[in-house]
Amino acid sequence: MSRNPVDIVTSAMEKYGSGREAIMQMLTDVNRELGYIPEEAIRAIAAAVGVSNAEIYSVLSFYSFFSTEPRGRNIVRLCNTISCRMAGAGDILAAIEDELGIRAGETTPDDRVTLETTSCIGLCDQGPAMLVNDTPHTRLTPDEARRIIAGLQ
Amino acid sequence: MAEMRVLTAELQPEAGAALKKALGMTAADVVFEVRESGMKGRGGAGFPTGIKWNLAGAASGADKMVICNADEGEPGTFKDRLLLEKYSMQLLEGMTIAGYAIGSSKGIIYLRAEYPYLVPAIMKARQDLIDRKLMGHFILGGNFTFDVEVRLGAGAYVCGEETSLIESLEGKRGEPRNKPPFPVNSGYLGRPTIVNNVETFVNVPHIILNGSDWYRGLGIGENTGTKLFSVSGDVEKPGVYELQMGSTIGELLDLAGAEDVQAVQVGGASGITITAGELERTLSFDDLPPGGSVIVFDRSRDMMDVLENFLEFFVHESCGQCTPCREGNVRLLDVTRSIRDGRIASREELKDFFMLAEIMKLGSKCGLGQTSPNCFVDIVTKLAELPGGKGGI
Ligand SMILES: Cc1cc2nc3c(=O)[nH]c(=O)nc-3n(C[C@H](O)[C@H](O)[C@H](O)COP(=O)(O)O)c2cc1C
Ligand code: SF4
Repeated sequence: MSRNPVDIVTSAMEKYGSGREAIMQMLTDVNRELGYIPEEAIRAIAAAVGVSNAEIYSVLSFYSFFSTEPRGRNIVRLCNTISCRMAGAGDILAAIEDELGIRAGETTPDDRVTLETTSCIGLCDQGPAMLVNDTPHTRLTPDEARRIIAGLQ
Repeated sequence: MAEMRVLTAELQPEAGAALKKALGMTAADVVFEVRESGMKGRGGAGFPTGIKWNLAGAASGADKMVICNADEGEPGTFKDRLLLEKYSMQLLEGMTIAGYAIGSSKGIIYLRAEYPYLVPAIMKARQDLIDRKLMGHFILGGNFTFDVEVRLGAGAYVCGEETSLIESLEGKRGEPRNKPPFPVNSGYLGRPTIVNNVETFVNVPHIILNGSDWYRGLGIGENTGTKLFSVSGDVEKPGVYELQMGSTIGELLDLAGAEDVQAVQVGGASGITITAGELERTLSFDDLPPGGSVIVFDRSRDMMDVLENFLEFFVHESCGQCTPCREGNVRLLDVTRSIRDGRIASREELKDFFMLAEIMKLGSKCGLGQTSPNCFVDIVTKLAELPGGKGGI
């Protein structure tokens, strides 16, 4: 059972303080734990640092890792930049989309996986590469990618 | 020219040796040594590091800050990942020496969200240094105190731009600031701040230990030191290579094993595109941008697909503050697709887009919009199939 968004913000505040400069860390903590940043968390962060809800929304909407929509329990980010593309990222994307029955940008109906494509993740010497949550997977083949995706809980 | 391993040498100086030496010097002498080394920032813009430190040291204001730019977002760059993974001791020691030099006790590493798996290595290095009294309170028993924390970004390329990075650390949208004021006078929370690249800090212990004369002996002319290059694309051995500054791109490609080269993207998507006829050019601040990303394309690649990929990147990553950058990249992407699909009837049609590219270079606030049209201009003029033949506008 995941924690209540307000509790996550409260413990983030204990760790990072309640200055404006703690906003990114608070957002990161909520986003990591829940997979997204629900409205309750936005309100709690706004109240904690003393700015408007709109201000928090404005900040979080700038960053591609933050989401205001619920996402899957696992987030797969497949690199879409040229070196990974040349190494075969297109085939990997097709394999994962087929395995999951969704397209990039979507979440499986059982909330198991959200699939995204992303700008360069700095693994260009080992492409095609993807991040599954915090873990990099490199030199993927379509079969290997399917196996990794199938193993996600 | 062979590889020249200093930063990535098998045998690294003992942790703390450079810091001990620095603490035995005055802060001004440390800044002087770095300035005399001639080292320019390794993050791309190439501002002389010693001059930056001197300005921050002289700036009035309390709680000066040392910030390490570990946002490494330029497509094709991964040399900072290697340094963070394997040489975080040297990075932290370099930051600590910087803290001593400018009079700061606090450092922040702004680490891109795509590298969270590097946090444990950095934190372990920090703890090792604290245990050895090389970081934290009363370093080596003296009065100097310095510590660092790691803060994660959240997936925005523009946050690698130093003022945007500072905005982000302050809990704001990562939109580049107007300069002046420069961060050395008013940076993080209005405090005098230096922002340096990972590789820049990793150089520092070597400069302090071996001296600026030694450092000036590496590289060519004003382009001193060694430089790390991340090589990917159509090469046999992709990876990070360390060469003296001023080496030619051809020498680098020989090491990595490149055959049947059509084009090379040097300096990432925001860098410049050269053709197989230009491999004698040098990687230096006077010629090909030595930021670190080198992507090789062989003759089987359609360069218009490459260009489309770069422009999609810029469309996605533009922060949207300035019209030339926000709208211009979209237009360049559109016309790129038209060229690729053979929907351009004459070269005349392209004139307006070259004008647009000039306007973007001149009218954009930060390096993103100023450099994003480079790939368009280079690839279309040198490599595109246009009505009446290849390239040349
Ligand atoms: C769009 C953009 C992205 C940038 N990304 C990075 C980056 O990822 N890492 C970096 O060190 N510098 C980056 N820079 C350059 C920084 O603004 C700054 O010049 C650099 O961090 C200064 O450090 P240095 O002098 O040690 O190179 C970027 C600049 C721009 C305009
Ligand atoms: S040039 Fe582009 S990225 Fe830079 S400030 Fe302007 S809109 Fe933002």
